Amino acid sequence: MIRAEGVSKIFGPQPASIMALLEQGKSKSEIQQETGHVVGVNNASFDIAPGEVFVIMGLSGSGKSTLIRCVNRIIEPTGGRILFKDPEAGELDVTTLDYEQLRMLRKQHMSMVFQHFALFPHRTVLSNATYGLEIQRRPDSERKRIGQEVLDMVGLGEWGQAYPSELSGGMQQRVGLARALATQARVLLMDEPFSALDPLIKVNMQQELKRIQQELQRTILFITHDLDEAMRIGDRIAIMEDGEIIQIGSPEEILVNPRTEYVARFVEHADPTGVITAGTIALPFTSSLVQRVGNRYGLQYFARRGYPRLRYGQDSTGRLKHVMTNERELPVQPLEQVIEARAADHLPERRDDLILTCPETTVLRQVLRGRLHSALPIVVTDRDGRIRGLVDDPELISGILEKRGHFQQDTVTTSDCAP
Amino acid sequence: MGELLEFLRALLNDPFDFVDLPARQAITDAVNWVVANFRDFFRTYVSPPVRGVMNGVHGALSAIPPGMFLLGVFALGWWAASWRVGLFSLISLGLVGFMGVWDPLIITLSLVVTAVFFCVLFGLPLGILCSRSDRFNAILRPVLDIMQTTPPFVYLVPAVMLFSIGNVPGLIATIVFAMPPMIRLTNLGIRQVQSEFIEAAVAFGSTHRQILWKIQFPLALPTIMAGLNQTIMLSLSMVVIAAIIGAGGLGLEVYAGLERLNIGQAFVGGIGIVLLAMVLDRITQGLGEKAPGARHKSE
Ligand SMILES: Nc1ncnc2c1ncn2[C@@H]1O[C@H](COP(=O)(O)OP(=O)(O)OP(=O)(O)O)[C@@H](O)[C@H]1O
Ligand SMILES: [Mg+2]
Repeated sequence: MIRAEGVSKIFGPQPASIMALLEQGKSKSEIQQETGHVVGVNNASFDIAPGEVFVIMGLSGSGKSTLIRCVNRIIEPTGGRILFKDPEAGELDVTTLDYEQLRMLRKQHMSMVFQHFALFPHRTVLSNATYGLEIQRRPDSERKRIGQEVLDMVGLGEWGQAYPSELSGGMQQRVGLARALATQARVLLMDEPFSALDPLIKVNMQQELKRIQQELQRTILFITHDLDEAMRIGDRIAIMEDGEIIQIGSPEEILVNPRTEYVARFVEHADPTGVITAGTIALPFTSSLVQRVGNRYGLQYFARRGYPRLRYGQDSTGRLKHVMTNERELPVQPLEQVIEARAADHLPERRDDLILTCPETTVLRQVLRGRLHSALPIVVTDRDGRIRGLVDDPELISGILEKRGHFQQDTVTTSDCAP
Repeated sequence: MGELLEFLRALLNDPFDFVDLPARQAITDAVNWVVANFRDFFRTYVSPPVRGVMNGVHGALSAIPPGMFLLGVFALGWWAASWRVGLFSLISLGLVGFMGVWDPLIITLSLVVTAVFFCVLFGLPLGILCSRSDRFNAILRPVLDIMQTTPPFVYLVPAVMLFSIGNVPGLIATIVFAMPPMIRLTNLGIRQVQSEFIEAAVAFGSTHRQILWKIQFPLALPTIMAGLNQTIMLSLSMVVIAAIIGAGGLGLEVYAGLERLNIGQAFVGGIGIVLLAMVLDRITQGLGEKAPGARHKSE
């Protein structure tokens, strides 16, 4: 939907001459000291799919706002291309559009939420929210209706006639959000839209945004400082440092596999239980901890660690057929069912004769809940129901504490849990 | 060597002896040339609209019975600022009437309204143009400096030569003298609008014109109103001076009083001018604070 190809922005009197220095590999601070130019964005590339929430994170001054402004050319990029593809608008090279085409793009297809709100002080909340519709020349009644709708959506339905200066920072931010939502643009550019909100409203707004995005198929470019927010709403996250994008990946990839020390420090304090999935930490059946024996019913596995008596039987497609211990078959239940059936007010009985299964996309938080019900390793299956591996306490603990998957660290679990 | 020293000494003692700039003659010639060539143009194309507006305004204002007029002023003051300002205006103008110079007051007010009308008519677009083009601004700025700093009396002579005597040359001189603040403050007000608001408007696909009328102009309105206030005050002061070349009103009272050494008449005219100035000032200030763009400034 939106693709950035090598976008750069240099602030200063002679930006073009600095591009060559960047290509020679000079750093942002060197260029600043030697020439007085500021490198806002350096060679940033990404590709946002339709309906995706793409999050940009980075420290203050890393160029997030500059980059998002390059996307709708409120800031003219010094180099690179921005491509926009949409079933309605076709494929456009945003960087070569003329004034009128660019205006149409902004009017119809992209709207923006500003970090510092940028509400018009001389307009009421309602007429701020409907500004985009006014520019689209929608009739008065329609403007009023949509304006009221979006204000209700952000919880400010009663405030339409107030002026921005009468609102708190968080409320102003929500007016900015309403203004962007009202135009029904397919692409939303959001520069720290929730930063001034208190935690409760913030979570509400995040959920609301997710809902809007899924229901109305909006594509969202979202900037935030808040790692947990990024993990919660982002389909993919780009981490920026000194104007460069240094890693793009799903929240889990970034958490489990930070590319640089900087990224690692960035994600250090993230809560992994909502991000890392069972598939990532599962002990694969190919591991040395699992013994594999062929027989005529399919493959059989013996998990050696701690449970020498468990024997996992698979059918010919790789699905779990049964789990046996001492020739007794153990009951198997999906983890989700067990959790749902749980009475809320007391701890469940933890059984040591129940096998739980969960899909590989289950997040650790859910797996941990399942762990309350069964002390035995949880069987992780892939999309087609085939066994991917097992999750036991060592996998969970190292997943949470070290944000690591089994594929990276076999040795830790081995030494911890040698029989 | 000796000759050179002698020359230098003479140069230091009286450098003006060496060069004689025929400035007076040049300006006289220039004005004469303009008068000779453009007098008819000015009299056929410039005088009638100015006179027409003046007559219209004066006709309308003098048709209102004074009592109604005072009530109207009270209401206007209340609406624009507060009931205090309304009451103040009522009492001030009432006082002028009781001193027996109501008719001159109405004439002066008509002159001011007419001059301000033309100042806004030309000043506002020029100010907007200045705010959009740095080059135009650079060209116009010295012109405005000249218009504003030239002593008002100096305008009177060419005005008389082009338009003869009466209200019209007085008005022309007033318009030229009072327009600069309108242009300047319109320009300033628009340029002062914070770029974040412009950016937001641009991000939603506004045209230049929409940005001007929906964002820049309303936000600049308090500053523009300050310019209007200054223009009104300058007009009033100039309209009084213009009595010398035959403009009527309170200025004429002062001028005639001085000529006849009738101190009382001169002072009554003067007091009328001061009171009118205060009323106009309070009301336009109130209007400026009422402008929607003034909202964020009150924070
Ligand atoms: N108009 C400008 N002129 C000069 N330098 C600028 C301008 N705008 C931004 N910069 C510089 O570009 C760099 C990136 O700024 P940007 O505002 O994009 O950072 P950011 O990541 O959005 O920071 P924050 O999280 O604080 O909002 C900074 O070093 C800043 O000083
Ligand atoms: Mg920013």
